This record gives sequence, C-alpha cells and structure tokens, in this order.
Amino acid sequence: MSEKYESSRREFLTRSGALLFAGALSHSEGLATGPPATTVAKEEGKVPVIDCHAHVGIAEDLVDPWDTLADAEVLLQHAEEAGVDKTVIFPINNKSYIKANEFIAQTCQRYPGKFIGFARHSAYTEHYPIRPLLFHEIHDLGLRGLKLHDQPSEEILDAVKELDIPILAHLERVEDFEEFVPRYPTINFIVAHLGGEMSADVDEHLAAIDLAKRYPNVYLDSSIVLITKYLEMAIEKLGPEKVLLASDGPDGDIRLDIFKIRVLKLPKKDEEKILGANILRLLGGSRRIS
Amino acid sequence: MNKIRNGSEQTPFLSSLTPPAEAFPATSDQAATLIIDCNTSVGDGRNWEPKERLVNYDPETLLRYSAEAGIQRSCIMSTRKVLSMSASFYKEENREIARLCEKHPDKFIGFAVHNPQAEEGTLRRILIEEVRSMGLKGVRTDGHPTREVLDAVAELNIPVMYYPNLTGFYPPDSSGSREFPGPTSAYFLMATTYPSVNFILPHLGCYRSVQFWTAHIEAIELAKRFPNVYLETSGVMTHKYLEMAAAEVPSEKLLFGSNALEEDPRVEMHIVKLLKLPKPQETAVLGGNIRRLLPHFDA
Repeated sequence: MSEKYESSRREFLTRSGALLFAGALSHSEGLATGPPATTVAKEEGKVPVIDCHAHVGIAEDLVDPWDTLADAEVLLQHAEEAGVDKTVIFPINNKSYIKANEFIAQTCQRYPGKFIGFARHSAYTEHYPIRPLLFHEIHDLGLRGLKLHDQPSEEILDAVKELDIPILAHLERVEDFEEFVPRYPTINFIVAHLGGEMSADVDEHLAAIDLAKRYPNVYLDSSIVLITKYLEMAIEKLGPEKVLLASDGPDGDIRLDIFKIRVLKLPKKDEEKILGANILRLLGGSRRIS
Repeated sequence: MNKIRNGSEQTPFLSSLTPPAEAFPATSDQAATLIIDCNTSVGDGRNWEPKERLVNYDPETLLRYSAEAGIQRSCIMSTRKVLSMSASFYKEENREIARLCEKHPDKFIGFAVHNPQAEEGTLRRILIEEVRSMGLKGVRTDGHPTREVLDAVAELNIPVMYYPNLTGFYPPDSSGSREFPGPTSAYFLMATTYPSVNFILPHLGCYRSVQFWTAHIEAIELAKRFPNVYLETSGVMTHKYLEMAAAEVPSEKLLFGSNALEEDPRVEMHIVKLLKLPKPQETAVLGGNIRRLLPHFDA
C-alpha cells in the first residue's frame, strides 16, 4: 500500500513541480513571520522532503542511549529508505555545546546536501556569553537555527531575533512557551514532539495545538507521537502549514514518522507542506538552504 | 493444586537458552497466511499509559483501520478499567466481547480480561465458562497472574497476556515515584512454573520504550530463554529494539499486535513490515505464530 502511494506521490511531484511549490508558499505567507517566500529558488522542481528534528554527536554520560551516541550514518540510511532528502541535525545532551555545535557543522560539510545544522545551547549549563557563540555558529559555521531543551534566556532570544533564525524547542511543559513567545513575535518557534514526547501526556498535545492556534509564529514538529490521532487533530485544527515532519532520530525513526503523515492520505499539496515546504519557509527558502 | 496440562514439557530453571525445534510445530498453509492482530481493545474504559484518562474504542473504527492495514482477524478484549472492579463486572465485559465476536465471526477473536486479585476464588469457574461456553480464546490479566488463573489457563490450553509494567498497577509511592520492575522478575517464575502455558508479553516489555528502556533487553532475553514466552510488537517507540528482537529472537516468538485503538493498526503494521523479515518469517509474525497459540480458534 505504501509503495504504491509513494510512487504516485513522486509522480505527482514531478508533474506539478515548481508551480505547486510556489503556490504552497504564497498560500502560507500570511502565517509566516520569517523571511519572505521570494527567497525561494524558483528553479527547484520538487519540494524537498525534510526531517526537521534529529540528533548527531557523542556525549559523556553513557547512562541512556540518548545521552551516549547519535550516528549520522544511521540517520542517512533511514532517511534514504523513507525518501527524505534532508535532515535537520543538532547535538545530543551535553553540558557545553561549543564543540558539539562544531561537530554538527563538520557533519554538514562531510555529507554535502544531506544535513541542515542547528546549534544547540542551554542557559542552564553554559555559564558564559552565548550571544557571540551563536553569531559565530550561524555566520561562520553555517548553522541555520537553534535547538533548546530548556527555557531560553533573554540573551539567547535577543540574539535569535537579530539572527532571524527559527528555534526548535522541547521544554518541560508547553505552557513554558507562554513566558516568551508573546514577547518575540518575529521569532518562529517550533514545539517539539507535538508538545509531548511519545504522547507521554496527551494534554500536552492539546496544549501545543492550542498554542499554535493562538500564535502565528508557533509551529509543531511531528516526531515520536505514539497516539497518532493527535497528529491528525493538529493538522485538522491548525491546517497543514503548522505541522512539520520530524523524527527525533536516530532513537526516533523517520521511516515510522513519515508513515504517520502519509497514512492520513492528505491532499498532495497539504502533505508537501508538512513534509518539507513548511520548514523550508521557516529557514528562508531553498536558496539559503543550499 | 497447580495442575499442569502436560508435565513432560516442564522446563527446569535456566535449561533452555534456545527453544527446542519441537516447540514450534509446523502449521497448515491456511493458518500460516492469516493476518492476525493479537492485541486490540474495544469499548470504553480507562487508560493509565501514558496518562490516566477515559477512552472509548469503537469496534467499527477498528474494523475500518484493520481492513486498510490488511489485517484479517483481530484479537479483541475489553478496555482496562479501574482496578477494584468486582468479578461480576469482568464477566459482563467479557460477555460483551463474546457478543461482538458473534456479530463479526470472520473478524474478531475474543479474549477474556480478568483481574486475578479482585476475582480471587471465583475466577477459575468464570474463565472456564467463558472459554468453553462463550467461545473466548485467550485471557489478558490486569494484575499479576496467580496460580488460580494459571491453573485454569493450563487446563483450558489458552494463552495468557500480561504486561507487568503498567503504571496504573503501580501507584506512586510516598515520594511520588512510579518505579516499577522490568518484566524479568514477573515472568521468570511464571514461565518456569507453568511451562505448558504460553505467555504473551506486550510492547516488547516496555511500552513507549521509555523510563526503563532496558526492559526491552530483558524481554528479548526472556523470549530467548523460555520456549513459552512470546513478545508482542505494539507501542515500541524506539524501533531499533524491535530490530534487535527480530535479529536475536526466533521469529516464531514474535507476535504482531497493534494495541489499537490506542495506537493505529495501520502504523503498527508498517512498523513490523519495516523489519523486512524474509516472507515466511514475516507471515509467521503477522499471524501464523498467534494462530498456533490459539488451539480453540478455527479459521
């Protein structure tokens, strides 16, 4: 069933090409506060499929798998099987992210065209100025966004605003976003795991959907949602512009997460938004990506 | 009384690192090709995982999603309730399951649900009636299986499904912690004491693959050690543990289940297909194996 669906999807993409992509972008311009759609390369014949949430790197802890190792080769293998063109990567848990972010930039260079690197920082474990680091990582190392796992400081938020990059954040509670989202309307925030990893608390999924409904600059990533009816609900209530394909690989698996979107059998142009056009728009279009 | 159906099958402690070939007799072609989802719930109830809430699983939706996934039969059982329900309550719930099976004889296989602690003293008689008169084919226990229920299960020659890590069965201690054991301690003695009973351990031993992710490794070791412990595939969020199970555990010991309608059977089917097992092994996991554990089921 999925193979047949995949082949018809590809055929559709080939035939529809750039026209459809441009249409999808202009339709969603009103929602985005990021860079305008005009930065998108018009020669792109196909909307790339992008996994917007994965980890690469090593960490010191050796306690849990997610604090030990995240292998880029595993991500690439799963992405290829899933028909994913590019993967957004950032470090796994560390105390300092200076070296870990450099490793992300190196990984992006080692596999040209496969990865989009995000920096990661923590205002809680990094007790030094983050602003100059982040400017260096974006401007010199070529990273494209920021991943957070705890509450951002004003310093981080101000730097992100100035750099005009998106933030992908997995905070303890969805309500924690309320502390800063209203004050930074020009930053695009992506809430990880549809608000709650592995559907650990389905009320968090509902809170995330509500947050994205109320703020035009809040988006939801689709990774590791166990109770998939909440994914369907998010797309139904928010429209396809607000949900972004994600895997939380390599512990999560993009082959599963992409199927959870495809099984919904959405109209093709809606599916394209979720599978790639939305994150592309938040990153400023394919020209800036490449 | 500890009545064991076939005493010659008794396995001493630690003696069976790999199951003997005769533990997996050949099945007929028809049995081998039927696609069976061995774990679904229907009706209203309560779910503690991931968070306590009321749920209601519609059998018609289950049928629709299952058809889309290519599933031909679903083992249905009543949705979990609060733990202190009386024996008569479970009896009525199981009667409803039997009614649904009568309504959809070519789609549903009924399992009884019982709580061995709440129904102490009455469970055996009720379960025998449910299997012999109402046509139910297996049992899920919500609560640790006792000798009472396992004696009855051995006598009836039906499989028993038990998930030992259920949060709802281990309320927070005084510090608010929800520590609960992995499947090893729960299964080691049961599987050793009742070698003729086939045990189904859901979720590869660890629902959602979190908190105690090593429970997946314990489950794999249990299935390798005991010929009578089988692993069900649903609700495994970290796919590499399923791949590990597929590589290390004989494929006869893996059973496709979806945990529908909490999860989507179409997604859970895709997850098993992603294992890319050779066709005969995949067919066994998708139905042949559970079929062999259901001697009272006549396709």
